[in-house]
Amino acid sequence: MDDITTQFEECLRRHLRSAKPNPINYDVELVQLGLDSMTAVAVLMDMEKTFGIRFPDDMLVEGTFRTAGRLKEAVQLLRERQAS
Amino acid sequence: MTRSLPDQSLGPEWTILELLARGIIDDSEVQMVRDLLTTDTMKWGELLEQALRHKMFPMLAHQIMSASLRFDVPTNIYMHLESALEWNRWQIEVFRRETVRVAQALADRGIPFVVTKGMAFESTLYDSLGTRYMNDIDFMITPRDRDKVMTVMQELGFRPFFDWAKDARREEISSRLNPDHLPKLAREIDQPGIRLIDIDIANSLTWTKSPFDVPVEEALENPVEQPIPGMSGVSIPCFRPIYQFLFTVLHLFREAWLQKFVESGTDVGLMKFGDVIRLIDRNQNKLTDSELLRIMQTHGVTDAVAWVLRHMDETFHTHAVELLALEKHGNEKLLRSQMRSPGYVNAWSESMRGRLQSKSRGSVRPVAPAHRGS
Repeated sequence: MDDITTQFEECLRRHLRSAKPNPINYDVELVQLGLDSMTAVAVLMDMEKTFGIRFPDDMLVEGTFRTAGRLKEAVQLLRERQAS
Repeated sequence: MTRSLPDQSLGPEWTILELLARGIIDDSEVQMVRDLLTTDTMKWGELLEQALRHKMFPMLAHQIMSASLRFDVPTNIYMHLESALEWNRWQIEVFRRETVRVAQALADRGIPFVVTKGMAFESTLYDSLGTRYMNDIDFMITPRDRDKVMTVMQELGFRPFFDWAKDARREEISSRLNPDHLPKLAREIDQPGIRLIDIDIANSLTWTKSPFDVPVEEALENPVEQPIPGMSGVSIPCFRPIYQFLFTVLHLFREAWLQKFVESGTDVGLMKFGDVIRLIDRNQNKLTDSELLRIMQTHGVTDAVAWVLRHMDETFHTHAVELLALEKHGNEKLLRSQMRSPGYVNAWSESMRGRLQSKSRGSVRPVAPAHRGS
């Protein structure tokens, strides 16, 4: 699978105010980077569009996007599922 | 509740709406509304716009009709108000029939539920005059019945509203992330002037990840059967007054305190406060009983209730905080706060009155950096 890091981080920076000027820490909770309930929806939609994936209902829970690391894992998993 | 006449510093248009929202209670208020409506400086465009924004168009229309102001209002405006009131009455009729249809289906399957908000208030707080505007029908169920209720609703012909939405995926994701409600449901109907009926089914008195809550199972115990006007022998279950009050206040708190509602333009309006004022006026004995305070303390919702009532008293000159013995709750810091996301709170400096009158709620911006709340 291709490395999605650059596209993934660009996608986050489009929506999260505090992520724009700084390197993205994959362990910090996304709410600390400016994620709220409205931007959460926007981020998930942008990830779906950017990577051509669709989050299934059981992944539309807070745990999926608690940190950038968790969200990137979810995106990669869905891309792999789609490729197989 | 006693209250002094509002000051008129925000203009006659706003004063009229404040008076109507809190409910006209004596002759001096009747006369004040009449005088304001006939003032030479009345800006009709402003009055109508704010009445629409606060879902008070039918109420304003009724006030003007019942005060016999036919020849004091510009003719075209009067005719439009008259039509709007008649249409609202018709929509309420249609909503009543649909409420009974859904209620019967849920009851037949033994599912506990109550009807809430507009449909519950229209006959009890607004005297069935057809003046309470509502854009959907609201129910409350327990979280454990979500799947069963969804099945019943599909059998009745309802589908998730996001099927009709401009951006269906956005609505769908938003709905999944906030399981305090079922996805908003809608059904196409064949009635003059009404194409869709929306139904909103909540399963929480607060919201997903709220730091406090009142268990729905407890709130649904011993509901009161409320007769449906014009349908002999037919009734719907509604919360008993204490839980009706708690749900209404906590719902107002949710829409006023969570920033997402400000950003989506669906936060608090005059009529939300109007519902609370009427609930207190009509259930004063039951709400001043020690049971309400005990329930609020048990579930940790006292500060949220005090937040609403303090803003209400400040805006409408009511005395609800004193009446419900909440003087020690809801401090100034909480009063001037707004939640951005779980655990993160913003401060805002505007008064609730200024916020209600503002037409650009997006301007309710924090005056201090967001910080992690307690």
